[in-house]
Amino acid sequence: MEKPRPDPDALIASLRQAGRGHLKIFLGAAPGVGKTWAMLDAAHTQQQKGVDVVAGLIETHGRAGTAEKLGELEALPRQPVPYRGQSLEEFDLDAALHRHPQLLLVDELAHTNAPGLRHAKRWQDVQELLEAGINVWSTLNVQHLESLNDQVARITGVRVGETLPDTVLDLADEIELIDLPPAELRTRLEEGHIYRPDVALRALDGFFREGNLGALREIALRRAAQRIDRDVASYMRLSAIPGPWPVAEKVLALVGPDLSAQNVVRHAARLADALRAPLVAFHAEGGDDNTRVQAALDLAVQLGGMAVTVNARDLAQAVLDYAAANNITHIVLGRDAARWRPRRRLTESLTRRATAFTLHLVPLPAAPPPLTAAPRPPRNWEPYVLAGVLLGAVTLGGIAAQSYLPQEAMGLIFTGLIAAMASRSGRNAGLFTAIIGFFLWNFFFLPPLYTFSVSDPQDLVALLVFLLVGLLTGTLAGRVRLEAVSSAARVEALRRISLFGQRFSRAATFSDVLRGAAEEAASMTGAGIVLLQGVNGLEMEVCVPAEAVLDEAAQAAAEWCYSHDMETGIGTTTLPSVPWRFLPLHTNGTVTGVLGGRPKTVPPPPLAQTLVTLAGQAAMALERARLAMQTARAQAQEDSQKLRNALLSSLSHDLRTPLTAIRGAAETLAQSGTALAPAIQADLLTSIIEDTARMTKFLSNIMDMARVEAGGLTVRRERLRLAELVEAAIARIPGAQYTGVNIAPDASHVLADPVLLEQVVVNILDNAMKYAPAGSRVAIQAARRGEKVRLAVSDEGVGIPPGELEAVFDSFFRATRGDRVAPGTGLGLAIAKAFTEAMGGSIMAQSPRLDLPADGLPGTIITVELPAA
Amino acid sequence: MSIASGRILVVDDEPQIHRFLAPALQAAGFEPLRAERGEAALRAVAANAPDLVLLDLGLPDMDGHAVLQKLREFSSVPVIILSARDREAEKIAALDAGADDYVEKPFGLGELLARIRTALRHKGQPEVSSQPLEFDGLVIDPASAKAALHGEALTLTRREYELLLLLARNRGRVLTHRQILTALWGPAHTEDVAYLRVYIGQLRKKLGASFSARLSTEPGVGYRLQE
Repeated sequence: MEKPRPDPDALIASLRQAGRGHLKIFLGAAPGVGKTWAMLDAAHTQQQKGVDVVAGLIETHGRAGTAEKLGELEALPRQPVPYRGQSLEEFDLDAALHRHPQLLLVDELAHTNAPGLRHAKRWQDVQELLEAGINVWSTLNVQHLESLNDQVARITGVRVGETLPDTVLDLADEIELIDLPPAELRTRLEEGHIYRPDVALRALDGFFREGNLGALREIALRRAAQRIDRDVASYMRLSAIPGPWPVAEKVLALVGPDLSAQNVVRHAARLADALRAPLVAFHAEGGDDNTRVQAALDLAVQLGGMAVTVNARDLAQAVLDYAAANNITHIVLGRDAARWRPRRRLTESLTRRATAFTLHLVPLPAAPPPLTAAPRPPRNWEPYVLAGVLLGAVTLGGIAAQSYLPQEAMGLIFTGLIAAMASRSGRNAGLFTAIIGFFLWNFFFLPPLYTFSVSDPQDLVALLVFLLVGLLTGTLAGRVRLEAVSSAARVEALRRISLFGQRFSRAATFSDVLRGAAEEAASMTGAGIVLLQGVNGLEMEVCVPAEAVLDEAAQAAAEWCYSHDMETGIGTTTLPSVPWRFLPLHTNGTVTGVLGGRPKTVPPPPLAQTLVTLAGQAAMALERARLAMQTARAQAQEDSQKLRNALLSSLSHDLRTPLTAIRGAAETLAQSGTALAPAIQADLLTSIIEDTARMTKFLSNIMDMARVEAGGLTVRRERLRLAELVEAAIARIPGAQYTGVNIAPDASHVLADPVLLEQVVVNILDNAMKYAPAGSRVAIQAARRGEKVRLAVSDEGVGIPPGELEAVFDSFFRATRGDRVAPGTGLGLAIAKAFTEAMGGSIMAQSPRLDLPADGLPGTIITVELPAA
Repeated sequence: MSIASGRILVVDDEPQIHRFLAPALQAAGFEPLRAERGEAALRAVAANAPDLVLLDLGLPDMDGHAVLQKLREFSSVPVIILSARDREAEKIAALDAGADDYVEKPFGLGELLARIRTALRHKGQPEVSSQPLEFDGLVIDPASAKAALHGEALTLTRREYELLLLLARNRGRVLTHRQILTALWGPAHTEDVAYLRVYIGQLRKKLGASFSARLSTEPGVGYRLQE
C-alpha cells in the first residue's frame, strides 16, 4: 500500500514554528498554586545548564519566598509609565528585545498593559518576543482564557477583566500544568503564603472556596488535556497516521445586539474547539446597538473564528440561507427571553425551521457583565423635552379652542403627534408621547374635566383605543425610522465605496491615487494620511489636511502596521492610545504602504469596514498606477530603441556617404593625381572639404541631440535683440535668398538663450533650404502676440503633407521616409524643437502656405513662439 | 595596373559619389556614365548598353531591388551593388535577384576596380561546359567528376564535389546561401544554411589551409571563391 503523505497544511504550520521562539506556559487553576515559583525553579535549572536566562518581569505579589527564589537571575529593569498621575511599572519590551536572551521569563501572560505602550496586552508583547526568536516562559491562570470567562464567572461569581484569546494558548509549544489540590491551596492561603492575612481571610470565603477551587482545577486540567489531545492529533496529521477524523463540522454563532452576544461567541468557540471545527460569528445588521455586536464579532475573531455581517429583514431566513450555503452543522444562539415581539422570536423560528442543524441555546448571563459590556451611550433627553413642549402646546391650544373643537378631534391631534415623535426620534419617544398624551387628553378634555376619571363609557373606550393606536403607531413609526436610519447608513457606506471606486478609476497617476486615498480617509474620519515604503523606511506621501502630523507614537503605530501587516492604532489592540487608525495597503500580496485616518471617536463598525474597503481599493489603484507607469517606461524604452535604430540607420547613410566620397576622392588623387586634369583635381579636393564639413555638422547635431536627450541642457535667459540674432543665423547659411527680414518694433526683443536660439533659427533656415528648389526664397517675420513674440520662417519649398506636420519635429523623421529625400541628418527640426521648448517656447509647422499661389509649390511656415522681453 | 576598357553606368543619387567615381573610373580606363534615379538608370542601360552597372540600393524614386528586377528582364549586364553594411537583407535579395557582386560603403577604390575587372572577365561566358576547369593548381574535370589539387586527387563526396564545382565556375563572385542551396539541394532547402556550413567546413579541410584561404565567407550573405 502506498504510504500516506503528510497533510501539507500541518507541515507548513510546523515549519512556521521554526525560527521563532519557543513558548512555554505554566498553567494554573488559581492564584497561589505556585506557577511563578515553578517557573523560577525550572529557570534556575536551565541557568545551571548554561542557558542565558533573564527575568523579564516577575510579579512577586509581595511574597517573600518568590522574591528570594528569584535569586541571582538577571532581572530587566521595569519601565515606568505615567498614568493618571501615578507611575505604573511595566514590562520593558524594547529592553528585552535589545538584551535578546536565550530564555526570557515573563510572568502574568494575561496582564493588560498601561495605555500608551505599544501593545494593549502583555501576550502581544510575548508574541513579538517569540517572533524575534526569543524563547519565553510565562504563567497563566486558566480563568483568564477568553472562552472560559463565562464559565468561570458562573462558577465563582467573579468576572475577570484581564482575558486573553485562546489562540495564545495554542501558540505555546509546551504547557506545564501546575496543580495543587484545593485543600492544600487553602492551607497555603491560611498560612499567609499567598495574601496578607486580612485579605486571605476574605479570599477564603470568596474566590477561594473549596468548591470554586475544585471547579477551576477541573477546568484547568481539562484545558490542558484538550491541548495534549490536539498535540497528538497534529502529530498524527504530520506523520500521516490515518485515523478516524471528525467529519467536517462548522459552528455558527449568532450575534445579536443583546447582552448574551459575547457569551454566545465564547460558547460557540469552546464548542468549535472541542469539535475541532471552524467558527463563524454571524450578525444580521439591523441598525441596533452596534458597539456590543462589534465587540462580540471582534471576540470571535480573537478566538480564531471568522466574522460575517449580512443585511437582512428576515433574520431566521438569513441564518438558514447562510448555514445551508456554508455547510454549517451547529448553530449557537442566545436565549432571547425578554423579546416579546413575534418577529424577533428567533429561537422559536429557528427551532421550527432549522431542522438540518444542531441548535445550541446559551443562557443569558447572570448579571450584566460590568467589565466586558460596553458603556451605554448617555440617554438623549432632547426628544422627551421636545415631546413635552409639543404636548403642552397642543393641550393649551386645545383648551383655548375647546369651544369649537370636539373632544374626539383632540384625540386625533394627539395621535398625529405620537406618530410624528416616533418617526422623528424613535419608538421610545413615541411611547412617551402616547402615555403623556393619554393622561393629558383624559385630564383636560374628557368629562369630567380636570380629573383622571371618565364619566362616559364611550369615552373610556375611545381612551383605550387611543392608547392602543398610540402605542402601535409609535412602535411602527419607530421601527420604520430605525430601518430608514440603518439603510441610510448602508447607502452612505455604499455611496462612499462607489465614490472612491469611481475616483480611483479616474486617477491616472500614482500621486493622484495617493491624494485621493488620503482625501477620502480624511472625509470619513477628519484627517487622512498615506505612507509608503521609501529609501529611508516608511515615509509620508500625502497628508490631508496638510498640517496634520504624526507624532512619534503615531509613526511607531504606522511602522508596526506596515511591518506586521495588521491594523494598529485607535480601536485596535495594538497601540490603541494613538489617535490614528492605520491599515496596511496590500499590492501583489505584500504590504507596500499604510493608510491612516484620525477618527474623531473610536470608529463605529460601518466606518471601520468602509476604511478597510478604502484601503483595499486604494491599494488596487496604486497597483494599477504602478503598472501604468511601468508600461509608460517600457514605451519610453521602446521609443528610445526606435530612436537608436533611426540613429544607426542615419549614421550608416549620413556618415558613410561623405566618408565614401572623401575616401574615393583621396584615393583617386593618390593613384592618378597627376594624370587628372587640374580642374578635376581641384574639384576632388573641394569635394573632400565639403564632405568633411558635412560630417562635422552631422556630428555636432548628434552631440546636440544627445545633450538634449540626456537632459544636460543648461539654458540661460537673456534679453536678446532679435534682429542681431537673425542676422547671425543668416550669415551661417550661405547661398540662401531672402525676400525680407521683417521684425515688428514691439517684437524686437525676446527672452532666450543666445546660443540655443541662434541654432534654432539656423536649423529652420537650413531645413527651408533643403526642401526648396534652388533659387526659391525665404522670408523671416517677427510679430508680437500678447506676452509672446512669434518668429515665422516661410519657404517656397515642397511643403509638408498634412498628416506629417507634427512628425517633422521627431528625431530622424527624414530617415523614416527612406533616405535620399534630401541630404541632412533628420535632426535639425528635432533639435530646434528641443531647444525652443527648453527655453520655454513652442514651435509649430504650417503647410501649405496660404499666401502662395495654389499652382506652385505649397511652401512651409515654421513658427517659433518665445516670451517677449 | 592594366588598363581595362568598357562603359560603366554609376547609379547613385549622391552627387559626391559621382564626383570622385567619374575621374577615378576614367583614370582606370573606363568610360563612366551617370544616372541618379532608378528610371534614368533603366533607360541608360537600354540606350547605352553599358558593360557594367554600379548600383546603389537606396534611390529616391524606386527601390534598388526593383531596379535590378526590371533590369534583368532585358539585360544580363553584370551588376555590382554599392551598399551599406546594415542593409544586409537588401544586399542578399539583390544578389539573389541577379546581382553579381557587392561592395560596402565606404569602399576602397582599388577593391572596387578589382571587382569591376572580375565581373567584366566573367561577362558573357557562362561556364557550364564539360571542359576541365583549371586555376591556381586546382583542376576539376566535369566529365569524370574528379578534382585534384596540385596534382593530388581530392577524395570528395558527390555534394562536396558539386559545391566546389559551383564555386569554381563562379569564382570571384559572391554566391548567396540561397543560390548555393537551390543549385545543390533544390528550392525546398533554401533555408538550410546549417547544412551548407558543414559542407563548406569539410571542403575547406580537404582543400588544405593554403587553398581554403581563398574560399572566403561573406558574413550573413554567402561564399566566394577568390581567384
